[in-house]
This record gives sequence, C-alpha cells and structure tokens, in this order.
Amino acid sequence: MSAPIKLVVIGAGPGGYAAAFLAADLGLDVTIVEKEINPGGVCLYRGCIPSKAFLHVAKIISEAKHATKFGIDYSAPKIDIKKLLDWKKGIVSKLTGGLGQLTKARKIRYIQGSASFVNSQSLTVKKTDGTSEEVVFDKAILATGSRPSTLPHAPKSPHIWDSTAALDTDHIPESLLVIGGGYIGMELGTVYHELGTKVSVVEMLSSLLPGADPDLADVLNKRVKGMFANIFLETKVLKMDESSNGITVTFADKDGKEFKHEFSKVLISIGRKPNSENLGLENTKVKVLPRGFVQVNDQRRTNDDNIYAIGDIAGDPMLAHKASHEGRVAVESIAGHKVAFEPQAIPAVVFTDPEIAWCGITEGDAQKQGKDVRVVKFPWAASGRALTLDRQDGLTKLIIDPKTERILGVGIVGVGAGEMIAEGVLAVEMGCVANDLKLTIHAHPTMSETVMETAEMFFGTSTHVYRPKK
Amino acid sequence: MLLSGIQNVRELDARLKHSGMTNVAQQRIGMELKLPEIGENITQGTVTKVLVKVGDSLKKGQNILELETDKAVVEIPSNMDGTISEILVKAGSVVKIGQPVFILSGSTNKPLSPPNVSVGGPEISQPLDTRHKHSGMTENFEPTTPRAVGNTIQDLALPPLGENLEKGTVTKILVKEGDAIKKGQNILELETDKAVLEVPSPVQGVVKEILIKSGTVIKVGQPVFKILSGAVAAPVTNQPSSSPKALVGDLEVSKPLDTRQRPTEVPDMRGQHSGMTENTTTTTPAISAGPAPVRKDISAAPSVRMFAREIGIDIGQVLGSGPGGRISVDDVKKYSKALNTGRIPYPAAATTKSLPDFSKWGNFKREAMSNVRKKTAEHLSFAWNAIPHVTQFEKVDITEIEKLRKLSSTHKKLSITAYLIKIMAIGLQKFPQFNASVDMATNEIVFKDFINIGVAVDTDRGLLVPVLKNVDRLTVPQISDELVAVAERARTRKTGIEELQGGTFTISNLGGIGGSFFTPIVNWPEVAILGVSRGVMEPVYVDGMFLPKLMLPISLSYDHRLIDGADGARFIRWIASALENPSSVEGL
Repeated sequence: MSAPIKLVVIGAGPGGYAAAFLAADLGLDVTIVEKEINPGGVCLYRGCIPSKAFLHVAKIISEAKHATKFGIDYSAPKIDIKKLLDWKKGIVSKLTGGLGQLTKARKIRYIQGSASFVNSQSLTVKKTDGTSEEVVFDKAILATGSRPSTLPHAPKSPHIWDSTAALDTDHIPESLLVIGGGYIGMELGTVYHELGTKVSVVEMLSSLLPGADPDLADVLNKRVKGMFANIFLETKVLKMDESSNGITVTFADKDGKEFKHEFSKVLISIGRKPNSENLGLENTKVKVLPRGFVQVNDQRRTNDDNIYAIGDIAGDPMLAHKASHEGRVAVESIAGHKVAFEPQAIPAVVFTDPEIAWCGITEGDAQKQGKDVRVVKFPWAASGRALTLDRQDGLTKLIIDPKTERILGVGIVGVGAGEMIAEGVLAVEMGCVANDLKLTIHAHPTMSETVMETAEMFFGTSTHVYRPKK
Repeated sequence: MLLSGIQNVRELDARLKHSGMTNVAQQRIGMELKLPEIGENITQGTVTKVLVKVGDSLKKGQNILELETDKAVVEIPSNMDGTISEILVKAGSVVKIGQPVFILSGSTNKPLSPPNVSVGGPEISQPLDTRHKHSGMTENFEPTTPRAVGNTIQDLALPPLGENLEKGTVTKILVKEGDAIKKGQNILELETDKAVLEVPSPVQGVVKEILIKSGTVIKVGQPVFKILSGAVAAPVTNQPSSSPKALVGDLEVSKPLDTRQRPTEVPDMRGQHSGMTENTTTTTPAISAGPAPVRKDISAAPSVRMFAREIGIDIGQVLGSGPGGRISVDDVKKYSKALNTGRIPYPAAATTKSLPDFSKWGNFKREAMSNVRKKTAEHLSFAWNAIPHVTQFEKVDITEIEKLRKLSSTHKKLSITAYLIKIMAIGLQKFPQFNASVDMATNEIVFKDFINIGVAVDTDRGLLVPVLKNVDRLTVPQISDELVAVAERARTRKTGIEELQGGTFTISNLGGIGGSFFTPIVNWPEVAILGVSRGVMEPVYVDGMFLPKLMLPISLSYDHRLIDGADGARFIRWIASALENPSSVEGL
C-alpha cells in the first residue's frame, strides 16, 4: 500500500476543520495549522456562535417586555455583563475544546501558528511558541477565512468596535452607532438595543439589508424603526473624531448636508475581507483575484494543482455552512472522488428579530436576470401559530418557475425563519415543484405550514387566505 | 457591445470558411431537404443510389434516393418542390432521419415538415429541449425558416393559453404603445376560469397599437396588439423559447446581426457537411444531442447529480422525465445507455465475447455485416434469449393436397406454401393462442383479431420476412399471386418497410432446398413459427400394407411461456390433418 496523501489544512474554522476531519476519516495524513489553541475559527470564537448567544439573551429580554401585553409583568432586567460574557465564553470553550478532542481522536497533527508557503510542496509554520517548522505536503487546503473590513478614516480608539470587539465588551455602552446595515450590523444592533443601549444605524444604500428582497427586509425594518434611535439611509460617514465620551461622527446625507452626533461606541460592520495576504501565495501558482479572493474551480482547486481553497477566501457568500460544504468537496476531490461544488441553494439567515432567511433565487435576482418567475406570498397574519406568539409580522414567499412549476427560491421573514428555511433549501436542491410542497403534510400548528399554504396559493387556493374571484 | 457583435460575425465567418464553406449565407439561402420519416423504428440508412443530380428540378413525390435500411432498400420520395443546388450525400453515406440531404433553391412551397435551416452544418440543429414543449405558453416558437427582414406591422394574436383555455378577461395590460417587447416578455395579465395568467409575447417587436382594453374578454387567436417587427433592438434574452434554431435563423438571412447577442449564444459551428444530426423526433428518452450550453440550474436531487458525475455523465445533457423536468437516476441511466449503444435495441444482444486470434491457424478476412445481417443477428438473439422455445415435429401425408394442387394448376401453379398459409390462417382462428403476443410488463396476453402471416424469404442479402396481411380473407390463388409478388419484391430489394411489419405468425419453408426437420426460431413478438422441409415419398403402412405417400416434415416452434406442450401437439396435429384431408377443412 502506498503512503497516504499528506494534507495540510491552513485555518481551522468551520471550513478547515470539516475538511481536516473528513480527510482523516478517509485515511489521509492530516496536519492542521491554526493560530488558536483549538479549532473553531471566527465562527465559533468571534462570530456566529457568540453572537447567537447574545441574540438569545436579547430575545428573552424582548419577550419579557412583550409579555406585559398578555398581563405578565416582569420588572426591568438587571444585567450582569461579566456573567453574561462568562456564559458566552463557556459555550465557546466547550465547543472549541470539543473540536480539539475530535482532532486528537482522529490523530490529526495540530500545529498552533501561522503558515507561509515556501513553494507548492512545502510551507513554514511560525509557531505560537516562537519556533518555526517546515511542513512538506502533497496537498494543501487554504481555509484562512476573512476579517472585518475597516474604514480608513476611523481613529484608533477603544470606542471603535468591529464585530469581534462588540462580542467581547465588558460594559454596555449608553449609545452605539452601527455603520453598515448588513446582517452583522443588524444582529448586533438588535443585541445592544435589548441590553439597553441607544442604537443608531447608518447605511449608504437606500435600505437596510440590501441583499435581501425588500418585502422581506421591510418586515424587519418596521420593527427596528420602533427600536432604533436613528436609521440614517443613503447617508455617508465623513469623519469620526474621538471625543471625551466616545466618538463624534460627521455624516453627509444624500443631498450632501452634513450633521454630527456623538456616540459612546461606533461599530464598523461594513463587510469582511478575505485573509489571502502573508501566506506566501506568491511562491505558488495560486491566483489571487483583485478583491483578495483566491480563484478556484468546481472542485475548489486553485490554479496550483496542489493547493485548494475553501470558505471565505474562495469567494462569496462568506458563510460557515458554505465553507464546510466546500471543505468536504475539496477533500473528496483530493481523495480521488468525482465531486463538484454545485449547490442549487445556499441558505442565508439573518438572525435578527424577526429572522430573515432565503435560499435559491431571490425576487431581485430574477428581475436582474430577466427570468420569468411567479412570486407567491403568504402573510403570517393568517398563521394561527404566529398569532399564539403575537408575532404576525412574518411573510413566507415562494419564487416559482411558471412553466415547470419548480421552486426556484424561498424567502421567509418571521420568528424562526432561520430554522424554517431548511425545507426551502431541500425543495430547491431537490428540484421540487409547487405541488410537492402543497401535497406534503405540515404539522399543525406550526409556522412551517405557511410554506405549504404558499404553495397552495400558487394554484389559487389556500385554506387560510381567501382570494376573492374578480 | 457593438464590437463584440462584429467579432462574432467574423468569428462565425472564419469558422465557416474553416469548415470548407465559403459565402455560406448565399449558398444556404435555399431550403434544406431532409431525409423524411421512413417508417417505424427506422432511424437511419445507407445511401445506395442518388437518383437525381445538381440542377435537376424536383417535384414533390419524385424519388430522390435509394436507401438501404436495416430491413430493406427503399426509395425515398421528395417532400418538396425545387431545383437541386447541392447534394449533401453520396452512395455509401449513412444518413439519419431529419438529416439534410439536398439543398434546394427556388422552392415553390414549404416543405411538409418545417425545415431546420442551419448555417454551419447539421450539428447546430439541436433538438428542442422537450421540457419546453409541454408548456402551453411557450409553444409559439418563431418559425425556423428565415424571417422576413424589414419593418412590417403585424397583428399579435393572443397565443394559446393552455389546455382547454380559450378565452380570458384582460385584467392588466403590461405594456404600452411604443414599448419594445421581447419574446417571452409578459404583455398581458389575463383572468381565466382557472387562474390569473401572465401572457408572454410570442414575438419581439414594438407595440404600435393596443387593440384591446382592460376588462374585455378576449379569445385565443384574437389580435391584441399591432406589432412592428424587425425593427427591434431588444437584446436576445435567455428565454427558453428563443431556441438556438431561432438564433441561427436570424443569422442566416444576413439580417443585421443583433449586436447585443452574446457570444455564448452563438451555437457551436464545428459542423462539417457529412456530420450527422440527431433525429429531433427520436423517441429515445433523455437524449439531447449536440453541444448544448451548460445548464446551471439543473433540476435533479444532489444524489442524482452525484450519480451522474460518478458514471461520467454530464447531467446538463440529460432530459428529466419527472415533474418540472426533474432528472431521476433512471433518466441518467437511460441517457448513459443510449449514449453507449446509440439506441440499445435488445439487452440480450449485448452479450459478446472476444474472438480468439484466428491467424494462429491460418489466413482469414473480415467483412462488415450488412444492415440486414446486423438486424437479423440482433433480432434473433433477442428472440432466442427471451423466448423459451419448444419445437414439435410431425410428418404429414400431403399426397392428397398435392393432387389438389395439381388440379387447380390449370391456369397457374399454386404453391404448397400458398396452401399452407391458407391452412394456417384457418388454424390460427381455431387456436388463437398461436396468434398472440406475450406482454411480460403487464402480465397480459395480447390476442390479435387479424391474421398476418410472414413468409421467410431467402435473398442474396440474407433473410427477409415480408408479411401477407389479412390472409384469412384471401383465397389460395390470391395468396399464391401475392406470394410471387412479395418474393419478387424481396429479391429485387423493393420491399417496403410496412411490408415487413405487423406479422402475427411466420412460415419458413426450406422445402425447395431440402433436408428434413429443423428448429425455427420464433419471430418475436409472435409466439409460434412453422418450419417446412422437403416432402419425400415414403412407404407408409396403411391397413396392412405399405403405400407410397408424399410425406412432408414440418416443425412447429412455439413460445412455451404461453403455449403448453399439449396445445402444441394439438395444433400440429390439426395442421397435419388439414393437409392430409384438405376437403374436410372449411374455408379452404
């Protein structure tokens, strides 16, 4: 038997560790190079997981307030931020520690440090302990992820946050400006609002969550309008100056009119940048594209036959679940399987309250592509389950090919949309037609029934929505 | 964009020149005459003779080619009028149904089937994605014949809406006068009995006048707009209805090329004249021929896509049979099979073993099988594998019938086969299970009310089995005449395809050559066959003495799935006694 393929995985986020674990399971000789002591990456340490812990807290506070409406009165919450942070850290260390054990159990070599390619067969690892080591490989997988983009004119100040800092603060600021109305800004804005901070949002474009279909985003916007102190749309941040109580921000609206506000903290959440620098990629044949992404093919192989790239560094969307899938594709390809990265649907979930989730084609995409689609929407006001939560601010919509009746896209806004989208992803990925969803029995009373009823509406009937005959 | 359009034209031109064709647009302005349908299951044939030459003027119905198919040599009549400007095939060419064989100029009428006018060679006439065929809304493909160029105002009629939908109430008009509309763009919202529909435009053009208004009831076919066509600069979109054909049609009449057309939409021009088109009307499932553009949105479960990838099939080429065109594992398998074998005729024929090296023992030569031989080999191995055969033998005293035969030969000699056919026709009515077929797919027996008897004929090209239809309604002299004509046609390669089909029982008479008894193979989907050998004078012991009798050895092979041994024996005994006592048979 020939020696197993030597694989080195650089970066152990959800893409990297999924790749490394599968590679070990397939019998490859695997080494991980990672800066942190355990696998997990941004997602587990400073992203998805900690933010969801905070969002859960925000939800509890919000629901406690909401309960007054049903005659249940709680007194205002006392927030022990230190205890809250410890709880979050506990989750993170439990998860990452678990991954560390799984790494050992699979006999994967774990080198803590940062890697730099010497050529297409070897790299040097500067280890955290100060020493360095040469690692020779047959194949390498780049899974170095991304980091928050910064604004060049932002002063260096403890009052300027990126998402990492926002998830690791030891006090609750009095006021917060969120720069960028994307999903990260909206999620963290929601968290701080519920913790008691006065939150403002500034966005250059004309709407919040510009990637989502406007009808979905509108449902969220309606709610955050009542929560956030200010929402500045089509507004630019011209200047940020550190002041005694925080940061004074100078804005310019769409007419160029300037105005100023002072905030205790400013969160910059304008996007993320791939980590493709300082990796010695210039010593390999890997091609780095202008925005910093690495060019890959359907197997996630770069222009260098020995080097693959997955996750944020391999292109949009920068989502953990996309990275893990790519990681598995890359490894199977290395192991000689015939695989391709060819999803029909990658779910996107914004974990705000209400949540927004979509997959497949969006209505906006369809318009841009000039694709003939039919869109059917089911308002949650007609869902019994939504009413029991007193949360009828929801909408389920299907984007359907009128000729084949295939489900091309699914969009949901409402409580629990992030869990519900799974059905939509499966429908799109399997090539379901509207009848498949319509004829599948959905449990009552759940919000998932809205998916079935939306499909019914495609055929002009829906049990809970009456459409008068014209 | 303009630049890229020009580059396109140049590229196209260059490619065409490369493929040995110059000034193509002019040359190909004529109509293509394509090989018409020949008959059931015939997909191709070898040209044995071209019956016309360049410059000939052609009348519809005039024979243009002699073609050898699997089953026979047939003469192919033209399905259009015109003058032949180019001949695209020669003797020996293998041509498929639908493949262009001639270029005609000055056609005075349209061909019977819509011609598929193409530029660079046959390849680009890709089959339509059948997925789109079923959608009532997009059936209005633009004609693939060259479109008139120039600005003409025409009526846009309400296209068919779908099954049983004849009319609807206009709820919204989605365009206004002066709008440029694209094919496939929604123009109206219409409420019908069943639903509110958006109606896509079947053509592109500029709306000059709107002839209807909201709230009115309109019918399919009724003019709704006046459209200025030809003047449109609307980009060609990815609408499914703008099939590659239509694009090619546009190029062909050297209409100013739509400069916004994207290079990727220019069909592949790799073709050479001799290349073959896939038959667009083929019934083979899941085949789309030609270098179809890669479809990114594939309707197939991830597991199906994985399966296709693993067996090396480009799933973009597979047509789905499921709802919404969803591709199943079976679709992929069918496509793969069809790819491997062209059209797999019978699975049993696929079992082959490689031959030993004969040169060890001496010289030998190899010769290609004729089409007839190939077909025979395929068909008989299938029959042999599929049917559990039993052969029952009998010696029949035909002394009496020989007398009868000679009696009636006053004006014409009647053959023993003619008598046999008539007797079998009568016998098959009495024993209907011998005039049947077995359907294992449904576990049913198919009993036929018609009696068509095939007669195996030995020709210089091999075995042919022309079928005499409804022989139960013919007299023996009529059958005899038919038989002579049929055999003559078979030997002179004039047998029509339909003459080789529809048999319910077969007789193979080797009596003219000699031998006694053989085991004929049932001619599937029939269930029985009668083999006849040479009659010999034999001493037969009758009533205490030996008498000279003309004894005919016959062999009845039958499908044991349907016919039991006792029935086989009964039937052969009935045949024997009918031959022995012809006067006792009613109807003979």
